[in-house]
Amino acid sequence: MSRATQTALIRDDRTLYEAVAGTAVGLSGVAFAVGLAALLGVVAIDDPVAGFELSVAFGAVLLALGAAVVGFGVASRFGYVDAAPQPSAGIVAAAAFTGIWFAVGAIVSGAVGLGTGGRLGVGVVLGGLAFATTALPREDIGSTLPAGAVAGLCGLSLITGVVGPGWKQVLVGYNATLFGDTVVPLIVLFASLVAGWSAAKAYGGFGARGRNVGAYVLIYLVVCSILVVLVGLVGFVTVKGLPGLFNGFGVGGAALISWPFLTNGAGLLADIAGVFPALVGTVWLVIGAVLFAVPTGVGAAVFLSEYAEQGRFTGAVEVATNGLWSTPSIVFGLFGAAFLIPRFGNQKSLIAGMLTLGFMLLPLVLITSREAILAVPDEYRDASAALGVSKWQTIRSVVLPAAIPGVTTGVILGVGRIAGETAPILLTMGGGVLPAKSAAPDVLGGFRLSASPPFVSNPSLLEATSALPYQLYALITAGLSGNIQNPQEYAWGLALTLLLVVLVFYAIGIATRYYFRRKLHQ
Amino acid sequence: MSQTDTAETTANRTDSQEISTTAGETVEETRPEWTSYEAAGQTKLAVEDLDVHYGDDHALKGVSMDIPEQSVTALIGPSGCGKSTFLRCLNRMNDRIRAASVDGTVELDGENIYQDGVDLVELRKRVGMVFQSPNPFPKSIRENVSYGPRKHGDIETGLLAKLTGRAEPEREEALVERSLERAALWEEVNDRLDDNALGLSGGQQQRLCIARCLAVDPEIILMDEPASALDPIATSKIEDLIEDLAQDYTVVVVTHSMQQAARVSDQTAVFLTGGELVEYDDTEKIFENPESQRVEDYISGKFG
Amino acid sequence: MSLTPQPDWRASIERRLTRTQEFVDDTDPEALAVVLVSMGSLLAAFVGFLLASPWTAVPLGVFLIATGYGWARHQALVARAVTFAMTTVTLVTLGLIVVFIFAESIPAFQYETASVFGVSVPGLGMFTQARWDAVSEPVRYSLLPMIHGTVMVTTIATLVAAPLGVAAALFIAEIAPPRVRELVKPGIEILAGIPSIVYGFIGFTIINPWAGGAFALNGGSTYLFVGIVVGLMALPTVVSVAEDALTSVPDVMKDGSLALGATDWQSMTSITLPAAFSGVSAAVLLGVGRAIGETMAATVMLAGIPRISEPLVNVFYGYETLTSLIARGYGSANGVHESALFAAGVVLFVTVLCLSIGSQYIEARMRRRLGGIE
Repeated sequence: MSRATQTALIRDDRTLYEAVAGTAVGLSGVAFAVGLAALLGVVAIDDPVAGFELSVAFGAVLLALGAAVVGFGVASRFGYVDAAPQPSAGIVAAAAFTGIWFAVGAIVSGAVGLGTGGRLGVGVVLGGLAFATTALPREDIGSTLPAGAVAGLCGLSLITGVVGPGWKQVLVGYNATLFGDTVVPLIVLFASLVAGWSAAKAYGGFGARGRNVGAYVLIYLVVCSILVVLVGLVGFVTVKGLPGLFNGFGVGGAALISWPFLTNGAGLLADIAGVFPALVGTVWLVIGAVLFAVPTGVGAAVFLSEYAEQGRFTGAVEVATNGLWSTPSIVFGLFGAAFLIPRFGNQKSLIAGMLTLGFMLLPLVLITSREAILAVPDEYRDASAALGVSKWQTIRSVVLPAAIPGVTTGVILGVGRIAGETAPILLTMGGGVLPAKSAAPDVLGGFRLSASPPFVSNPSLLEATSALPYQLYALITAGLSGNIQNPQEYAWGLALTLLLVVLVFYAIGIATRYYFRRKLHQ
Repeated sequence: MSQTDTAETTANRTDSQEISTTAGETVEETRPEWTSYEAAGQTKLAVEDLDVHYGDDHALKGVSMDIPEQSVTALIGPSGCGKSTFLRCLNRMNDRIRAASVDGTVELDGENIYQDGVDLVELRKRVGMVFQSPNPFPKSIRENVSYGPRKHGDIETGLLAKLTGRAEPEREEALVERSLERAALWEEVNDRLDDNALGLSGGQQQRLCIARCLAVDPEIILMDEPASALDPIATSKIEDLIEDLAQDYTVVVVTHSMQQAARVSDQTAVFLTGGELVEYDDTEKIFENPESQRVEDYISGKFG
Repeated sequence: MSLTPQPDWRASIERRLTRTQEFVDDTDPEALAVVLVSMGSLLAAFVGFLLASPWTAVPLGVFLIATGYGWARHQALVARAVTFAMTTVTLVTLGLIVVFIFAESIPAFQYETASVFGVSVPGLGMFTQARWDAVSEPVRYSLLPMIHGTVMVTTIATLVAAPLGVAAALFIAEIAPPRVRELVKPGIEILAGIPSIVYGFIGFTIINPWAGGAFALNGGSTYLFVGIVVGLMALPTVVSVAEDALTSVPDVMKDGSLALGATDWQSMTSITLPAAFSGVSAAVLLGVGRAIGETMAATVMLAGIPRISEPLVNVFYGYETLTSLIARGYGSANGVHESALFAAGVVLFVTVLCLSIGSQYIEARMRRRLGGIE
């Protein structure tokens, strides 16, 4: 059946409407960002903005946004603009606004002084009203009116100063107080989010496209926030840690680079306290864990993928390995303490820490190796067998080399993870708070053979040693104080060093994965 | 295909290839354009100089053709010659591929679908598509068929609609029945509309996809090798369906099988290596007396 | 074939025996001997280690020598034996962890025996009363305050990690242009890399003091902010598993939805998300497990006094979780106190194991479901 009437492929000109709606979305984004800044203390809510307090300026912006949003909806409803709204705003929006207005009702009536019953009543009434306003009218009214009202109400409360810099509310029974400095930014964040979403829907002309735009705006916002937090965290640690890390740093002279923070200990002899023992400890921990976990994990992966019959046994091993992988690190620490310490001289030791971290690394290596080996196509194995090559030779010359990229990436990422772990070594290794350089373990030089049991010994392996994460923890527990010049700066330098070590491993791991993937696809 | 003697054959050659005359000399001929083809009926889709690049790969070279309404147009040719690429341009599904760049115009009832500001949702409401392997959604048969209208807001289902009294279950049922009947599937599934669509056989799934497409009430139906994944019986059902649909819709079918094209289509376009449209004419003409030697070679099985 | 129904396992054991017999007959006796020596000495070394014997180095040396020799002469067989041994190591490790954790916790369970309906149940006392005090009389070891703390922190962490994580996963899998995806995906993985002690350090030095001032609290540790920080740590887990699930939905399905005139968002919510629902749920479960097991940030940021908050949902004060209890208390604990810490470890281990098995089951179901679509 061909259509009697044909709908145009291009909508009527909506450029002005879209421009205004777009501006509204942008404005709510700005409000969101400034609100975040206010929450984090970058700006204060009583900072002057064009003669008014920031809080009042926020109010004005929110009020304008609220009015604009309602305007968008009305313009569409009464046909001034050709949008494509659906008959209803949908159940998700209806439920959300019901909840929001219920909360608003309960909070505001509580502030006015009603008791719990009254607050519930007001909440229910407003919630019901919101439901009706969202669900019953056409979508253009249903998604703008409740949203605009939220923004408007918030804006009103800020612009009139009802909620402002001096505001406070004691939370009875909680032993806590809410202050305007926290609540105003939260109100701004919330209201700008709601108004921005509604304006985005208007920008998209309501209907399915409008919801598309609205959802995308929210999701982009979420992702940007996560990235901002990430960059903020890393940047913050970097900025605070640089002074400590580069304390006494110099180029030139006999050693070309002198980096006392990394080459000194923190004992009394050192003029500039450094993290050398902990650094060495971390290095040996990683080496020991890798020496234990990689051969074992790869070997087990080879057996499970190539030799064992795929069935209940391999399934059980898979379940067990996954369980081991998600076991909390402190439980590994407990195990190390219960099992390893009694067998290595009944004291905390480097080797106990190595093995405990090795146990943590093992499931990761096993899972990634297994994946890498299973990813090698059967055609390779078939081709090799057709040439008369034995199974082991095939594994050695065909399967393993093809699986090496995946295994390498997995190992590097796993090392990054265990290098930053504190809990396992806390219980099994734990050295001093501010170890001197002499406390750094000398593993290679410490091996001794003897003619009587136990035949092989190495005192440095059996000593309690420090490592980067452990030392940071010990310093915190000691209250960031100690026999060094500037414990705070030292601690931040230590944190930055640890972060850099771990992030370098992760960066190398991600880069290797990327590199191998590119090579594979060429 | 009549074999005329060499003199006349030279005049009729339509490709640029080295042709040996009776005297044994090789002569290069430039390809005269096959004279423009006026199909019977009004033009529904007018394609002008369509060029598609996937990165450096020139997938379609300056294709121009007019597709008449309410008929079946078949696109044939060896694999990799741009038939599917061309088809996917007609409903702008190539937009999904980031490396693809499209030049030229495609006019649907006179409106260029590639101009700025075109609403893709509106376009795809009018130009539907059925894919090579059946791709029903993991939902019930009923929900599959009514998916399009529900997403467009034409039919309301769901909790809110029921609460506010806007739900129209009878309309939905009627639409589902109509679409399934038109797709020749109603008889087989009318007692199990709530069953998961994935439980149907391959042929049934493909007819379900056609029903799903019909439920949106398009004007044009694009089919990308709709029967290639099916057994012969299912295939013949699909072919019967295509002929039936042409009475009301404009159908454009990409097919690997020349016999299928010969059976169902009114006009046929032949795409050969490198995304060239080599000839486009009435189906009988293409298969019995094509103007281009390359087409003749392809049809007689000399390559492809 | 015999008509009498022989039990399956007996038949399979017989099969295995005959196969082993054939194997022994076929193999070069020297190789067999080398493998036996090597495996035997490994076993002996392990037993020696278990018994903390000083003679352990001897069989270990024998193992190394025998394996080295066998590698040079009978590589294929030795390789198979060695890889089998590695597999056993993995299983043994899990077994040992379970055994030791449970074994060490027994004294505490016995100490906290309570009776219900006249039946004494060991360990019940840990869950029926709320007093934890290892020092002053009466010495009790209730896990309830710590369980409450873990629940509070995990709930807030899930409220942060689940919606944000799924949204970010949707973004990476469906919405982001390729260049942006190349940036965001490693970015979130880097977030996973930040060590928890660093999070804890920031919390201790910056967040806690700020919170104390911003909310006029007695002290700064709050379940609220610990929960937010732990949520940040669990976020990358949710994102990566959910993103895997979303990308595994076949492209043809999304194409089909778009060709019918649905928008990208409609296709995501009606087709992709429901199809990937199991995987996304598994992702959230794994995130919850990660949050439960988080130790160092909690240890450093929380007050460390085992108490149940008043009122119960008071997020403005933070006391102790199961993990922080163990981390903080282990250094100085002895006897039953130490055993009670192991009991906390048991609760942690069992909970996370159940979550892990649950999410694996869900993922297996999803793979089967999507596998039917092709």
